[in-house]
Amino acid sequence: MSRLDRVGAGVETALPGKRSKRWLFGLLPWVLLALALLLVFSQVRRPALLVDVWVPWIEVGTLAFVMTAIILTGGIDLSVGSMVALTGMVQAVLWQDWGWSIEAAAAGALLAGALAGGLNGLLVVAGLSPLVATLATMALYRGLAITVAGGERITGFPQSFLDMGRLLGVPSQFWLAGLIFLGMVLLVHHSRFGRWCFAMGDNRQAARFAAVPVNKVEGVLYTINGLVAASVAVLGAMRHDASIPDAHIGTELQVIACVVVGGTLITGGRGTVLRSLLGLAVISHLDVGLQFLSSRLVWLTAESRLIAIGILLILVAVWNQRSQKEN
Amino acid sequence: MLVLLLAALGFRCAGPEGDETLRIAMIPKLVGIGYFEATEQGAREAARELDVELVYDGPTDARTEDQIKMIDGWMAQGFDVIAVAPNDPEAISRTLRSAGERGALVLTWDTDANPELSRRSVFVNQAPNRAIGHTLVDIMAEGVQAQGASLPGDYLIVSGTPTASNQNTWMKYMRERIREKYPEMRLLQHLTPGEDQQKCQEQTAEALSAHPHLKGIWGITSVSFPAVAKAVRDANKIGQVEVTGLGMPEEMREYVKDGTVREFCLWDPVDLGYLTIRVAHRLKRGPLPPGRYDFGRLKGVEVRDGEVLLGPPLIFDAGNIDNYNF
Repeated sequence: MSRLDRVGAGVETALPGKRSKRWLFGLLPWVLLALALLLVFSQVRRPALLVDVWVPWIEVGTLAFVMTAIILTGGIDLSVGSMVALTGMVQAVLWQDWGWSIEAAAAGALLAGALAGGLNGLLVVAGLSPLVATLATMALYRGLAITVAGGERITGFPQSFLDMGRLLGVPSQFWLAGLIFLGMVLLVHHSRFGRWCFAMGDNRQAARFAAVPVNKVEGVLYTINGLVAASVAVLGAMRHDASIPDAHIGTELQVIACVVVGGTLITGGRGTVLRSLLGLAVISHLDVGLQFLSSRLVWLTAESRLIAIGILLILVAVWNQRSQKEN
Repeated sequence: MLVLLLAALGFRCAGPEGDETLRIAMIPKLVGIGYFEATEQGAREAARELDVELVYDGPTDARTEDQIKMIDGWMAQGFDVIAVAPNDPEAISRTLRSAGERGALVLTWDTDANPELSRRSVFVNQAPNRAIGHTLVDIMAEGVQAQGASLPGDYLIVSGTPTASNQNTWMKYMRERIREKYPEMRLLQHLTPGEDQQKCQEQTAEALSAHPHLKGIWGITSVSFPAVAKAVRDANKIGQVEVTGLGMPEEMREYVKDGTVREFCLWDPVDLGYLTIRVAHRLKRGPLPPGRYDFGRLKGVEVRDGEVLLGPPLIFDAGNIDNYNF
């Protein structure tokens, strides 16, 4: 943890007073996490069933691990929720309307994900701001997701496919998340590629002059994001026996929130994948905990839960900004 | 945050912790609309009477994935009953099935899930199709006679899409009632303009000019009904052409106030929520074989195989419409 922290935090300060203050600043997410866990575990009666509660959040986390790397380079991908919906629909249509086997259709979905992510990368490399480019493809991919099957959700996948929704008794989403987490930690924190990411986020111009292959890094990262979105979609279809065109609306915001609450600088150059896991733990347990709590407090409606999460995000963002100033 | 936490802990100590209290989680398609606020009102009434713990919560948009999230959460919290109005009868079924396999009593209300896939215990059905079809015809006949006119003449049904199975079923029972009780009412070929207010209005206006002896029009979807009323009002045929149908009091209020519509019907959503909680409570004590039962203030409710039928539809008129806000 501390080693990774240092990688992300950048320059080490020598003053002992400052060091103790930084330690304090790093504490906020942990306090929030403790609070959130308390909320959840004081309300849960069948802890084993929390596994199912975690699944949608593990999907968010899987996407957040990749998003961390993208944000580190100074980029962002708003189209990620739309890509999950689109690739899920591509798989379902290939299987139902085109008569492909379900395995081939899943491969088709991955290919579609790579293409969708690749297009994002292409637009960014061409010089569009990542915010604008992926805002556009967010709409484009959502539109396609709704169009490919006429807005209908598709169900009735073969049992053999649905059986893969669990592996060794655990929902497959957890295995995917573990795999992507390890992969991204290695890529971002233990490879030359990762150092390029940090360099780009720090100072893009300087990185170019230092012969960092900026275009290649961006192309690869956005494509990986599309691929991972497609994997999430395929596993989601296994779990629910359904591909839904309006699924994962707003997921991109949850994903970005995890990264930001984890302390990764939204403008790039600073952050760690591990801290995004912490951000995920905080946000997911607060959301689940507030939902649990709402069963005891009638006034805690779905709307007021949104307000609570919003206030929390502001709080953390302000805190993060102050702590970065301290550094 | 601290306040929340303290509140949580406080409630935990004070709240009903005994395992005897039945814990019911009820999920509408979405929260924040009048219809599902009315069902909540009825559900809370029944929960108070029966002294059960009720959570009534749903997504802010009518989306299945949010419903699934909430149901999984309630299962981990150990709720005994999950009562759901599914946004998607198929996509939610696997979640319902696993909730049932883990010991919860699962029932559906307002809209059914796929009964085989979800293995829900019963569906609390608000729309006994026969009663709705018959009531629509009865209030039309009453209305025409109340105008001092005689029944014989042309009548028209404005439906929605040609494939909507609930509307087609209602029309079947409407024809049955006309055949049996009012053979002098002559039905024209019904219109299916789709769920489009504009088209409904245009096609109704055309029908009004094409059939000068039209005595009454039904709008049998919540889209077509206000459109029909508007077309009749715009054609200055208030009092000459009787309008009735199925709709929401909120949308129909202006037409009832200005006399275009005298009476119309819909099931009572308050009763639907009330019945759902009552049925859940009863099912926890044992199976519910087909027959007629009293559920609190609702008497003689019909239970069929896997279905509980809410009684006859509620009839709205100028006298009672202001009591409803959905």
